[in-house]
Amino acid sequence: MNKEIEKLLFNPLRLKIVSFLMTVETCNFKALIDVTNATKGNLSTQLKNLNDKGLIKIDKYFQKSYPTTDYSITSEGKKQFEIFFLQLQSYKTYVKKN
Amino acid sequence: MTKEEQLSIINDAIQNAKYNLKPLGFNFIFWGVLIISMSLFQYFFHQIVQFSYYSSTIYWVLFPLLGIVYTTYYNIKTRKTIGYETILGRVIKIIWGVFSFSWIGIIIISLLNNVNPVQNILFVLGMTLMMSGLIIKFNKITLGGLLLIIFTVYTYFVPDLNFLLVNVVGITFGMLIPGFALYLQKKDE
Repeated sequence: MNKEIEKLLFNPLRLKIVSFLMTVETCNFKALIDVTNATKGNLSTQLKNLNDKGLIKIDKYFQKSYPTTDYSITSEGKKQFEIFFLQLQSYKTYVKKN
Repeated sequence: MTKEEQLSIINDAIQNAKYNLKPLGFNFIFWGVLIISMSLFQYFFHQIVQFSYYSSTIYWVLFPLLGIVYTTYYNIKTRKTIGYETILGRVIKIIWGVFSFSWIGIIIISLLNNVNPVQNILFVLGMTLMMSGLIIKFNKITLGGLLLIIFTVYTYFVPDLNFLLVNVVGITFGMLIPGFALYLQKKDE
């Protein structure tokens, strides 16, 4: 697995965001605040980081004159999360065996 | 952060993304009440609904179309309030979207062939309900859909049935009762 991505997902908030986005099609900022309990500023920063690395997609558009933002995971994000999760699972199996 | 903590974070985040069953239950109740009311109204006041050759067709196209507009608005509003759409929610949305197109198709084909569309609509509705029930793992919806299919097949072998009463019985057991069960369900999927 890409060390940079592993380091990125080592942060609890970023891991929470990516895990949640893995299970939903799209979500808005408010839902992410509810799920992560993070502050707006911190959440925005981490979302930008994940977007810069190509793990998540940010769609900004206007709905009835109000700016709206939707977040979703990219196919690269899905792939990287699956690798990350498989590594965790294999670790769990290893611990159980020993 | 340990591996166990990472797994715990992933698990918690997945648990947060539950598909809210209440709006789907509301949709079933809304359509159940609408179709049953329309059927009963036509049954008791047929002279009003059937005052001309096309009035009954207009009646059965106009009100369900208004219903589609309202439920689409309701579902968009609900999606905004919840703030996210699960994969399960998207699957259910697609299934019912396809059903709406099938409904329009059946109406047009039936009009062209001058046949009553009720049985065909109920059959497709039963199939869609059964699929929804199986997908969200809610047995009452699956059973409701199955009952509706069996009931519709039965009506094909019984001549001279009043299709308005067929509608009332089929929709009550196939949609309204399972819809209430779903609406009152506390657990989300």
